[in-house]
Amino acid sequence: MSNPEGALSGVRIIDLTDERGIYGAKLLADLGADVVRPEPPTGDPLRSRGPRLATAPEDQQSLWFAFFASSRRFFTLDLSTAEGNNQLQSLIERASIVLTCKDAFGVNEAKLDEALEKRPELIVIDVTSFGNEGPWANYVSSDLVDGALGGAAATTGDADTAPLKFFGELNYMTSGAYTAIAALSALHHTRSTGEGQRVGVPVQQCIASCLEHVLMFYSYNEQFASTDGPILPRRGSLHWSNAYQVMQAKGGSIMITPTPNIEAQLTWLIEEDAFEDLLDPKYMEPENVQLLIQRIMEVLTTWAGEQDVEALFLAAQERHSPYGWVLPIEKVAENPQLAFREWWQDYKIGAETIKGPGAPYHLSENPWQLQHHGHLDDNTDDILKEIGWTNARGNQS
Amino acid sequence: MSRPLDGIRILDFTHVLAGPFATRILGDMGADVVKVNSIDRATGVNLATHPYFLQFNRNKRSLALDMAQEASRAISRKLCDEADIVINNFSVGVLKRWGIDFDTVAETNAGVIYAEMSGMGDTGPWSKFVTYAPTIHALSGLTHLTGVPGREDIGLGFSYNDHQAGLHAVVAILAALEARNRTGKGQRIDMSQFEVGVNFSGPSLLDWFANGNAARPTGNKLPYDHAAPHNCYKCADTIDDSIENERWIAIACMDENQWQAFKNVMGNPDWANSPQFNSAAERVNASDELDQAISAWTLDLEAAEVMEQCQRAGVPAGIVQNGVDLIEKDPQLAAYDFFQPMEGEHPEYGTMTGDRLPLYFSATPCDDYPRTRELGEDNAAVLTDWLQMSPEEYRVHDESGLLK
Repeated sequence: MSNPEGALSGVRIIDLTDERGIYGAKLLADLGADVVRPEPPTGDPLRSRGPRLATAPEDQQSLWFAFFASSRRFFTLDLSTAEGNNQLQSLIERASIVLTCKDAFGVNEAKLDEALEKRPELIVIDVTSFGNEGPWANYVSSDLVDGALGGAAATTGDADTAPLKFFGELNYMTSGAYTAIAALSALHHTRSTGEGQRVGVPVQQCIASCLEHVLMFYSYNEQFASTDGPILPRRGSLHWSNAYQVMQAKGGSIMITPTPNIEAQLTWLIEEDAFEDLLDPKYMEPENVQLLIQRIMEVLTTWAGEQDVEALFLAAQERHSPYGWVLPIEKVAENPQLAFREWWQDYKIGAETIKGPGAPYHLSENPWQLQHHGHLDDNTDDILKEIGWTNARGNQS
Repeated sequence: MSRPLDGIRILDFTHVLAGPFATRILGDMGADVVKVNSIDRATGVNLATHPYFLQFNRNKRSLALDMAQEASRAISRKLCDEADIVINNFSVGVLKRWGIDFDTVAETNAGVIYAEMSGMGDTGPWSKFVTYAPTIHALSGLTHLTGVPGREDIGLGFSYNDHQAGLHAVVAILAALEARNRTGKGQRIDMSQFEVGVNFSGPSLLDWFANGNAARPTGNKLPYDHAAPHNCYKCADTIDDSIENERWIAIACMDENQWQAFKNVMGNPDWANSPQFNSAAERVNASDELDQAISAWTLDLEAAEVMEQCQRAGVPAGIVQNGVDLIEKDPQLAAYDFFQPMEGEHPEYGTMTGDRLPLYFSATPCDDYPRTRELGEDNAAVLTDWLQMSPEEYRVHDESGLLK
């Protein structure tokens, strides 16, 4: 059952994704779609992903799964039997959208070409690592490898580290977001015309489309006088503009930038008697903007080292300077802004209720809401009835 | 051929990256995006000639409006009545000062979907805070978590959260569009880029609240699961010590079969059969020794060679590709024409190149990529199409200095 108040109420989705697309299914489910996620009798392998709930070691409740598979209804399918395959077909016959990842559970058995022939209004989203064509179409991958081939890893890390993967599943959260966009834009077209379609979502391209400066440095390199070539090497937190960097303050680190108003930053440093040589007229010459930025970042580094990190952050924001206090996750968990907005939500995991992330957006008419559908087989009888089977497994009504 | 969002009109008051990236995607999918700028107020990356602006504003029409003038604000108010979607990523309150806040617009356009992408959301003690992506990365925990153990000064190498805020705004807008298809009613979307960023640490936040475990950076290791090797390794085609001339390969053995296959790729060396590498958990515990041994092997091979050998054996491996690799060398992206010339000659830059939308619609392909327009280049067309402004009316507005 979908959330009747959700923006996607009434939209039926079958979720045959793995890590590459599961975040997209989550976005759609949390917006109110009825998303059914079939699993093999041995259980979804993603249920073993860590971290796990420490108080439930006996049934290995996965917190990773609780987050990424939120608001789903789960359904066991034995695809080694004719009955299981028929049930999968029955599920697909009732769906508006089928989300797939190449070679994920159920995808090869789903006969989606036939389903599209029978129901031209059906939407099928095909997430692959590299696409279905081309020399790398059959390459195997992971978040780390997709991030490397997609260009993200080369940007991240420092001179004394290897190229780095983002913490967690951030590359696959990019392809997941595109998965949701593909489904919803295709759905809009179906609403307008009655026409369904397939939409390919290659993960590598999703990542390569979200690299901010990388293409710009290649295409317009001559405009960036501070670089020697079309590649900006990984260099810790220093932004491509040279004007944002994490610095050490007393009690912690802080991301500091003199932008967007360098004059205001200079005024602040003057008030603090920490401007050193920044009033030298050479820094005011338009052609010396980069020189000014480089020098002001040096001055800020020295100055920040003498400031209390929290006081500096709040003072900067009071002056409309976009400094950012580098917070560890336990500090994020007690953030006053999130608390004020009552952002945290309750996740029901096993017998426990755990606080966790809330909505990434707030729709005034259709509130985002986590749906709690219980354990793996709690929804089985309902789903079997909905697809025209009796509630005793194996007997079609 | 039609595109999925044909017929949708978007009035775009966005700037820098998060908002323009959202409307670029919507434009790529066929929406008529009218980007409103004041020529006199465009500076830095919002200058129409800045590469940043050129990269993220294709597939939009440009309307220049001097919003300091009341008559311009009146035109923007009329445009809001014609829009399916109004979007901005200004700080809270700017559009209210222009008289085009949601409540005002909804009075005469009940179907409007009004998306606000502020840094912190429209309520709360931090709602007036000024943020860019590096600010959000720092405050949301992403900077602290992405790095190597013992350091919290690395973080993500580009404005990831701006892209993701754009993607999430598109998701919310399309969901609101589906709701409007059902109910006929528009609505307001309050999106906090900070909340988008915090959301990315979902499993770690649950781990903190449930178990009291505070996540810390793990380099290229998985923070919670056993997979090893799982790292980037330097290769023989490293040219010199400068970072841009290094060559790395990412290798990730996600299960036991892949580890066994990888051992075969390496020629089944004795060290790989040491008991300390028997299981994934043991390999993670001995990852320093494991990574050292693998590095010794990859340093004798070119990255492309390692990738090909690994992939032939079913082992996930990929070159750490930089911008030149992606654009000039990657045969997979080339097979998809992922980087392609934008349509039309830019007066200053000529033919521009861009990355295409990474979505492949079978019935409504999104293959049109007109170049970024100069500020005000579409003034006449937009005001004629959207407001049915007569040539005489247009001339009067133009001469009065509103359209700049």
